[in-house]
Amino acid sequence: MSQLISRSDLTAWINALLAEYTVIAPTKVDSLALYQPVKRADDIFMDFGITALSPKEWLFPPTETLFTITTQDGTMKLEAPPLDGKNLIFAIRPCDARGFRLLDKVFLAPPADTHYAQRRQNTTLIGLACSKALPQCFCTSVGGAPNDASDVDVLLTEVEEGYLVNIVTEKGQAAVAQAKLIEKDVTPPSPPNLKPVSTEGIVEATLRAYNDDYWERLADRCTHCNVCAFVCPACYCFDVRDHINQGKTERLRCWDSCQAPGFTRVAGGYTPRPTKGARLRQRFGHKLLYYPQQYGDLLCVGCGRCIASCPVNIDIREVMEDLQKLGVKSVSARA
Amino acid sequence: MNQAIRDKAKELLASGAVSCVIGYDVGSDGINARPFFAYTEEEADGLAFDQTCTHNLVKYLIDRAGKATAIVVKPCDARALTVLINEKQVKREEVFIIGAVCHGIIESTWGQKGSDLQGRCQTCTQHTPLVYDLLVGEPMAEPTPKAPLDHRAATLANMSVAERAAFWAEQFQRCLRCNACRQVCPGCYCAECFVDQLDPEWVGIRIDLPEKWLWNTIRAFHLAGRCVGCDECQRVCPVNIPLGLLNHKLEEEVATLFDFRPGVKADVPAPLETFKKDEKLGIGE
Repeated sequence: MSQLISRSDLTAWINALLAEYTVIAPTKVDSLALYQPVKRADDIFMDFGITALSPKEWLFPPTETLFTITTQDGTMKLEAPPLDGKNLIFAIRPCDARGFRLLDKVFLAPPADTHYAQRRQNTTLIGLACSKALPQCFCTSVGGAPNDASDVDVLLTEVEEGYLVNIVTEKGQAAVAQAKLIEKDVTPPSPPNLKPVSTEGIVEATLRAYNDDYWERLADRCTHCNVCAFVCPACYCFDVRDHINQGKTERLRCWDSCQAPGFTRVAGGYTPRPTKGARLRQRFGHKLLYYPQQYGDLLCVGCGRCIASCPVNIDIREVMEDLQKLGVKSVSARA
Repeated sequence: MNQAIRDKAKELLASGAVSCVIGYDVGSDGINARPFFAYTEEEADGLAFDQTCTHNLVKYLIDRAGKATAIVVKPCDARALTVLINEKQVKREEVFIIGAVCHGIIESTWGQKGSDLQGRCQTCTQHTPLVYDLLVGEPMAEPTPKAPLDHRAATLANMSVAERAAFWAEQFQRCLRCNACRQVCPGCYCAECFVDQLDPEWVGIRIDLPEKWLWNTIRAFHLAGRCVGCDECQRVCPVNIPLGLLNHKLEEEVATLFDFRPGVKADVPAPLETFKKDEKLGIGE
């Protein structure tokens, strides 16, 4: 027997959740699907393939204040920013939820990042299994699955009668407390088939290719924007700077990316990654070599956003394929 | 057309006239083109041109200064190249221009084959590049525009200032400050962009509406009289901000005030790069 919620009860449930949580869900903004806070269930756009941006911004915001310092009458006061309330991300895709698992390893390793940890603890993830695969999807090749419930608190799967409700964690249990669930014998639909991408030996292959001309050739067409990093659910680089305004100092943390020429520039102007190839190698090195060496998993969830959004079609699947061939036989970069 | 490009590319590479040919090949979706750099005759066989060749490649020439290069350009790209040559960023003698007759570029997203022409191409009146060393494709009669500019342009023109500000606030709110618009723009080549400057810090690192607003409007002003309307900024924007609307508006203003279209004539500097004592623009009068 499975637990099921009808479509009309789903609406009622979401409206009930809104009393307790800030509900962040896919919405239609112009021609885009984006995760945004919603005011009512009707604002939710369920027929999204994948949102333009991952929901990572709700745990790792593009801009956040780490602390403020104010000086008054010769006394300095250091204050932490106010805490966010309880958030619930509704209809998160399994790949995006897996992105949080990868961010957790970085931000929650001791000493944990206070801001991320607080948000993580206060956020409930209601997953939505994928009923179809897009041409850029490859989650099954990097450890995920279209119906993977391991990184969400509840997983919903759309069926004819409504949605199957798979409660995974206690947080999920709490979230469904107000949902009208019925027991019914429903066979879950089989997940869509994805074209596999080989990741065999990719860590070694990336290391082997470190000094190869491949990177400069690939970087020929790279424009060095930050699109790939900013749309990625697993990229987490940031810049920290103090903003001083009328006696108030604010320490800010904002998204940044290894593709920006200024990312590694140090005092005096020296840049250890001076060329486009060195910067592009850093991107793939981090995803396929450094992160896996440190944490085990590849730093990629196979959502395919970077593939679809790249202005010049730098395709991580193709890069992996090329790296596997390098050293085995000479391969000309698809630059 | 493909064969003509490949043949010329091979000839130029074989003779050593150029060391690289920048053109297009087919992307990883098997549908849409992407930029391609051919350094050998063998690689030149990968060159192709079709109605998915949306990228404006001329910006790549700046990185290749001092190295003779051949490049495939559409009519709009050719105008951008003229702007770069006029602004002394590219030396004409270092470039072999393979001009492609263009029937317009198809609006498409990665992995999908599109069918409609891009908005900019629907109003374009130029099928043949104004400059080239070799023309490929059959020249055709220049068309009259088929459709009006983006309907939003007319809507915006009829709005009050407050309404327009609200429209742009909504659009800019989505901006991620990823800089993709700048990175693909042939007009954006400053060694240090104002937005990256630390001393003075014109724009902080905050990814928030005031900074987004400042970034997008200052960039648009820097392009006034220099933007050829290739709409690359708009195409690459991951959150679909209609940047073309801003640029086209400024181009119309410049055209009205100075009777100037960027990239049309070589050796004519952009109006905002020159000062003429007798210019009367009705500003502040």
